[in-house]
Amino acid sequence: MKKHWLLLLTLIGVLILGACSGGSTIPEGEEGSGSGSEPASEGAKEVIYASTSDAVGLSPTMTNDSVSSNVMTQIYENLFERNPETMELEPKLAESYENTDDLTWVIKLKEGITFQDGTPFNAEAVKYSFDKLRDPATGAPRASLLEPIDTVTAVDETTVEIKTKYPYGPLLAALSHSNAAIISPTADEKQDLMQNPVGTGPFKFVSWATGDQIVLEKNADYWDGEVALDKVTFRVVPETSTAISMLQTGEVNFLDALPPEQISRIEGLKNVEVAKQEGTPVYYLTFNHSKERNQDPAFRKAVAQAVDRDAFVEKLNGLGVRSDSVLGPKVFGYNESADNAGTAYDPEAAKKLVEENGFGDEPIKLLAANRDNFVLMAEIVQAQLTDAGFKVEIEMMEWATFLDTARAGEYDMTFLSWSNVTSDGSEMFYPNFHSDNVGNSNRAQYSDPEFDKLVEASRTTIDQDEREQYLNEANMYMLENDVAIVMYHGLVTSATDKSVKGLKVDPNGQWSLKDVTRE
Amino acid sequence: MLALIIRRIMQLAFLLFGISFLVFSSMYIAPGNPAAIIGGPTATAEDIAAIEANLGLDDPFLTQYVRYVSNAVQGDFGYSYQTSQPVADAIAVRFPNTLKLAIASMIVAVVIGIITGLVSALKQNSLLDVSATTFALAGISIPNFWLGALLILVFSVNLQWLPVGGMTNPFYTLAGIKELILPAITLGTGSAAMIARMTRSSMLEVIRADYVRTARAKGVREKNVIWIHTLKNAMIPIITVIGLNFGFLLGGTIITEKVFAINGVGRLMIDAIAARDFPMVQGSVLLVATLFVVVNLLVDIIYTYIDPRIKFD
Repeated sequence: MKKHWLLLLTLIGVLILGACSGGSTIPEGEEGSGSGSEPASEGAKEVIYASTSDAVGLSPTMTNDSVSSNVMTQIYENLFERNPETMELEPKLAESYENTDDLTWVIKLKEGITFQDGTPFNAEAVKYSFDKLRDPATGAPRASLLEPIDTVTAVDETTVEIKTKYPYGPLLAALSHSNAAIISPTADEKQDLMQNPVGTGPFKFVSWATGDQIVLEKNADYWDGEVALDKVTFRVVPETSTAISMLQTGEVNFLDALPPEQISRIEGLKNVEVAKQEGTPVYYLTFNHSKERNQDPAFRKAVAQAVDRDAFVEKLNGLGVRSDSVLGPKVFGYNESADNAGTAYDPEAAKKLVEENGFGDEPIKLLAANRDNFVLMAEIVQAQLTDAGFKVEIEMMEWATFLDTARAGEYDMTFLSWSNVTSDGSEMFYPNFHSDNVGNSNRAQYSDPEFDKLVEASRTTIDQDEREQYLNEANMYMLENDVAIVMYHGLVTSATDKSVKGLKVDPNGQWSLKDVTRE
Repeated sequence: MLALIIRRIMQLAFLLFGISFLVFSSMYIAPGNPAAIIGGPTATAEDIAAIEANLGLDDPFLTQYVRYVSNAVQGDFGYSYQTSQPVADAIAVRFPNTLKLAIASMIVAVVIGIITGLVSALKQNSLLDVSATTFALAGISIPNFWLGALLILVFSVNLQWLPVGGMTNPFYTLAGIKELILPAITLGTGSAAMIARMTRSSMLEVIRADYVRTARAKGVREKNVIWIHTLKNAMIPIITVIGLNFGFLLGGTIITEKVFAINGVGRLMIDAIAARDFPMVQGSVLLVATLFVVVNLLVDIIYTYIDPRIKFD
C-alpha cells in the first residue's frame, strides 16, 4: 500500500518539477497586457479576431456560413466586388467586362496574378472554379448561385465568356459572392481546400487547430500593393462576454457583430473603438401565406397596424435602423420612398379590425428561433398583438428544428432574417418570396403571380437602371399588401483595440484586413 | 482482477453497440436535416438533394446504421458532415484539453474537498465545521458560468494575473498552468463541495465505529487513528463520488469550456448536436461512454486495494 502512495507522490513531484523547468524556458510575454497570451515575435504586426464559432471549412465551393467566409475573404478573391462606399460593383480580379448580347458576358481578366501556390491566375482557373461550384456532383451548398449560367468558356489566357440560360441581371453581383471566389485549380486537385486553402488574396493559410484557431500570414507576393499586417489569427471564443474580456486585456483585438445587450459594456472600455454603420441584414415578421386566414388582406393589415416597430427598435440600443422597406438602404433596388410606405402603427384601428372580423377567436402560432434577437422580437410582438385583441402562442425552437419547421410551413407567423451578401435586391426577393422557391427558401410560402413577374423582370434584364425600377416596384407591392412586416434593418458593427487602424466592415458584414495595420 | 477487466471490456462492447443504436436512431428521428443546415437558408431542393447524396443521407436508416457500425468496428468513425474532417481526428484534437481540465479540476476538488471534509468531521459542530459546510453548500449551489465570469473579472481583467481564456500551451509550461487555474477552480468547486460532504459524513460514521474506539483504548496515537484506521475505511464512498465526478468531467463540461474558450469534447458534442452532425455526435458519445466504463473499472480496482475484503472474482 505504502509503495503505491510513494509512487504517486514521486509522479506528482516529477510533474511539478517538469512544470517548473518548462516554465523558466518559455519567453515571458508580460509587457503591457500582462496575461498569458502568446507574445508576437518582435515587431510583427498581428491582429487577433474572435468569433463565437469555428469556420466550417475554407473552400468557397463547399461552405455557406459567415464565419468561414470571414476567413476566406482574406485568402481568396472574386472577379468583381462591391465598393462599400458607392455600393457599385467594380472589377477585382477582372479587368473589364462587356455584354455582346443579353446572354453573353465577356470578362477580361487582370494579367500577371498568381495564386499563393504559384499557379497562374487565368481564364482556365475561372472556368474551373465556376464549373466546380455548378457541378451537381460536387454537392456545393451554394450551387444555386450560378444556376442561371449555361456555359463558361476560356476564350484565351485572359478572357472568359459566360453564357447564361436566360438574360440574368444580377450575374456580376452573384460573381461577387464569397462562394464564387476563384480557387487555385492545381491546389484543388492536389489537396482538400476545406482544410488547406489557396487563393490569390492578401493572406496565406498557415494552420488551423480545429475549434480553436486559424492562423494566416501575409502574402508577400500579393499583386495589389503591400499588405501591412504580418499575421492574422481567428480565435474561437464561444461566449461573447469572455470575448469582450479578452478584448479588454488584449488577448484579442477585434470583434464584430456585437450583440445589442453587450454594446454599452463594450463602449465603456477605454482601449476599444466601436464602429457602427448601416448594413444589409433585414429582420422581418412574416405570415405563412399558404394558410387561409393569412390570405385575408384585412387580417394582415390588422397585424401590421398592431406591431409597434419603433418601440422594438428602441430596445436595440442603437443597433437597428427603422424603415418599412423590405430592401434596406444598402441594398440595390432600395428607394427612399419605401421607408414609410408600409402600414403605419395604429393600435386603435387594429383593435377595430380584430373585433369586427373576429380575428381574435383562433390563436396564432408565432414561431421563433431561440437565437439572435428573435426571442426578444417574439415576446414584444406577442404582447403588442395581444393588446390588439389577437390570441398569440409563441413556439420557440432551436435553429435546426426551426429551419425544418419554417421550410415545411408548419406555423402561422414567424420571424426571418436575411443578410444579403451580394447586396442585390433580386437576391432577397427571389429566394425568399418567389413562388419557385415555396417549400424551400421561400419559408413564407408566398406565391403571387404579379409579384413573381416583377421579380423575374428584375432578374432577367441586364439593364441595371431598369432592374432598380422593377425591384422598387416589387418592394412597394410587398408593402402595400402587408406581405411581411419589417422589424428593423441591422447595423454592421465592430469593436477593435485602439491600436488597430484602417478596419472597415462592409455593409454585408464582411471585411478585408488587407489595408489594416497596427500601431 | 484480470477476469474483472476482461468481463468489463466485454460488457463495454455490448454497451457501445446499444448506445450507438440509440444515438443513431434518436438523431435520425430528431427534427432538423443536416443537409439543410449545410445548405443554409438559400439552398434549393436540388442543392439539398445533392448534399444528401454526397453524405449518403438518402439511404434507408438500416443501410446507414449498418454502414456506420461496420466502419466503426474497423476503427473508422466516419467524417464530419460539416467540416468533412475525420471524426477520430476532431476528437483527438479536443480530448487532451478535456483531459487536462478534468485532471486539474479533480486535483482542486480532491484537495479542497477532502481537507474541508476532514476538518469539519474532526471538529464537528465547531465554527470551522459550520463554515466548511457552508462552503460545501455554496459550492454545490453556485452556477459554473457565474463563478467563471466572476473569476475572469477579478483575476484576468482587473488583476491581470491570468489569461481570460483559451488552452493552447502545453500543460507543463507556465503559460499552460496559468490557463488551467481559473477553469479548474470553476469546475472543481462543485465537485470539491460534493467530496467534502461525502468525506464529512463518511468520516463521522467511521469515527464512531467500535474498532476506532478500540484503537484509541489501546493507546494508538490520534494521528494514526485518523489517517490509518478512520480515513482509509471512510474512503470507499469518497472514492465512489470522486470516480463518478471524474467520469462526468471527462465527458466534457460544456459550460466551463464555453466560458473559458476551451476547445474540448463537451463543446464539440454540443456544436455537433446543433448542426445535426451525426457522425460527430456518435463518435463523441461513444468516447464518453467508454471513458465512463473505464473510470468505473478503475474505481472498482481501487476498492480492492483500500478494502482487501472486496473481491470481484
